[in-house]
Amino acid sequence: MNAETLSLRLQESFGTLAEITVTGPRRLICKIASDQLKSVVTRLRKEFHFTHLSTISALDLTDRFEILYHFADSELCLTVRTEISRETPEISTITSIIPGAILYERELQDLFGIKIKDIPDNRPLLLPDDWKEGNYPLRKDWTFQMPLETIPGDDHSEK
Amino acid sequence: MKNKITIGPQHPALKEPISLRLTYDGDIITDADLRLGYTHRGLEKLAEGKSYIQNLYLTERICGICSHSHTTAFALGVEQLMGIEPPKRGTAIRTIIAELERIHSHLLWLGVAAHEIGFDSFFMYTWRDREHVLDILESISGNRIHYAINTFGGVRRDIDQDQRSTILEQIAHLQKRTEYYLNLGKTEPTLTARLAGVGKLSKEQAIDLCAVGPTTRASGVAQDIRKDDPSLSYPDVPFEIALSDTCDVLGRVVVRIKELISSYTIIEYLLKNLPDGEIRVKAPRKVPEGEVISRYEAPRGENIHYIKSNGTDKPERLKVRAPTLANYPATVEMLKNVFIADVPLIFAAIDPCVCCAERVIELVDSHTGRPEIITMSQLRTEANNYYRKKNIRNKEYLWPW
Amino acid sequence: MLERVVLWARTKSPWALHLNTGGCNGCDIEILAAFMPRFDVERFGIQLKGTPRHADVLVCTGPATRQSRDRALRIYEQMPDPKFVIAVGACAMSGCVYRGSYNIIGGIDQVIPVDMYIPGCPARPDAIIDGVVKLLKKLENS
Repeated sequence: MNAETLSLRLQESFGTLAEITVTGPRRLICKIASDQLKSVVTRLRKEFHFTHLSTISALDLTDRFEILYHFADSELCLTVRTEISRETPEISTITSIIPGAILYERELQDLFGIKIKDIPDNRPLLLPDDWKEGNYPLRKDWTFQMPLETIPGDDHSEK
Repeated sequence: MKNKITIGPQHPALKEPISLRLTYDGDIITDADLRLGYTHRGLEKLAEGKSYIQNLYLTERICGICSHSHTTAFALGVEQLMGIEPPKRGTAIRTIIAELERIHSHLLWLGVAAHEIGFDSFFMYTWRDREHVLDILESISGNRIHYAINTFGGVRRDIDQDQRSTILEQIAHLQKRTEYYLNLGKTEPTLTARLAGVGKLSKEQAIDLCAVGPTTRASGVAQDIRKDDPSLSYPDVPFEIALSDTCDVLGRVVVRIKELISSYTIIEYLLKNLPDGEIRVKAPRKVPEGEVISRYEAPRGENIHYIKSNGTDKPERLKVRAPTLANYPATVEMLKNVFIADVPLIFAAIDPCVCCAERVIELVDSHTGRPEIITMSQLRTEANNYYRKKNIRNKEYLWPW
Repeated sequence: MLERVVLWARTKSPWALHLNTGGCNGCDIEILAAFMPRFDVERFGIQLKGTPRHADVLVCTGPATRQSRDRALRIYEQMPDPKFVIAVGACAMSGCVYRGSYNIIGGIDQVIPVDMYIPGCPARPDAIIDGVVKLLKKLENS
């Protein structure tokens, strides 16, 4: 099945819930509202056999966050896009449908500060143990200044 | 009696930092947990401050073993955004280097897996053969690791007639050596007995936990990006996906050896039918706005890059998901209800590229709560002694060739 | 007299411990390749050991990340005196391409004192052997 045929079937099946566009020979985008996430993912998995979740990315669009779920089957790649507000960044988990999404959701929590509702494992994934709360590195307004290094041997006596 | 074990951060063979926390009850592991973050280098934030060409060299250093897979995935994505297409000869050279990288990575893994079960002479054999592959790569690109052969629009170096004949000779030599390894399993029953039945991951679990690469192909899931989402020269080359349905570590060994053999045939086909012409086209400095998803079959599984550009010469967002991260949930599942002695082998069987992790295992005494740090090498020695005493020649598993 | 025997043992057969604090693994596989049949550094008496308490030389690769800083310090303190540290690869020297990242402190010399720097990305096994032999000569002459 090629991308055009699938996009017509998806648009027919989801109606006004989703907006389907074809962006390349094997690439589709499905734009939905954030509260429809779980039902859309369940239907994609059961009716259209998109069982493999490649990864979850997030974009910081200054006034809002956009989260992309990259699904794949044996021929095509479908991205589900949804937007959430920046003041209260929250979205529900999909680990009840796809257990393999847990690490990607933990990464979103760590690096963007997006709160995932009902996530089974809430611990930070990547940042060190002594990282201060409230610092989300991948947000556009978070910058980092490298501290001054000490050059060894400057004031040491000869060994 | 429940205890937890933490294995400390040194692993004599292939040290990469990752922390594994295992809860055990007598001889059996009941729960497993991972602590990542030792190799978190903040690449995605760094990439937003560097130009596209600088990012080509940054993505290369995500991993030392599968470095070409990251640059190729990045270059393919950016070329799509730029709207240029590299010439056929450049694409063929990219594919040859990709298959050479697959060979060197699988030989490396075979050696490490052999080291985990105590078969050190096999470790030495496969790494000695790997040196032939590194010689070929050095003659084409100038460096043994981090070849930097990719650029936007094609490749930087060409393959001439002398190099072609040398490469074909070396590939023929490697084919003979791989046949020797195949026959090894027939004459060494302990090899099969240690590998079979260990680290089970059923087909449903592999699909639910979104595992990738040889780990999932050994459970019967036919997923290979070279066939599902083909790019480079793969549509022109005839080859088969390597599959196995034993769902255990022996299946993963079988899948990797089959991939070695098919890589030899792909390289021979491409070298004999190398198209003439240029190796690169000129690429613009600024990349037009847009976003692209680029997928590539690295030796360990599916490598996916998501790139968003905003019209300048620096990317707006680069997201990389390396294959080993996708296999971690499956690893945690595989480590439940197994003997402690099997832990080094199961962990090595997913071919972890921790830098894409540190193999520090932490065994926490669950009764007293006191963490007892033992090194991976101590665990491996104990595991090998355990199996030596157990006399496993009675198992009836068959080597598949 | 005893000191001379001990020094002779250390320089003729130093035992090494390998530590990766967060690199890409390129230097690690080149260090391992130095122990494989093609380069075979074991003929100089160097052996790779698994525990810091037996090691004379600490071979470090990878930039120092914030998470692995405490681990590197703890291992350095567990090694018995006199001990030597070799920083292999551009990452261990200064951080290589990752300088400026929020999780990287810099090279490993920001955490522990280093005696020998071996450059390269990754450092070739020949360069590693050369560096180790030079360090041993320096020890003999000290």
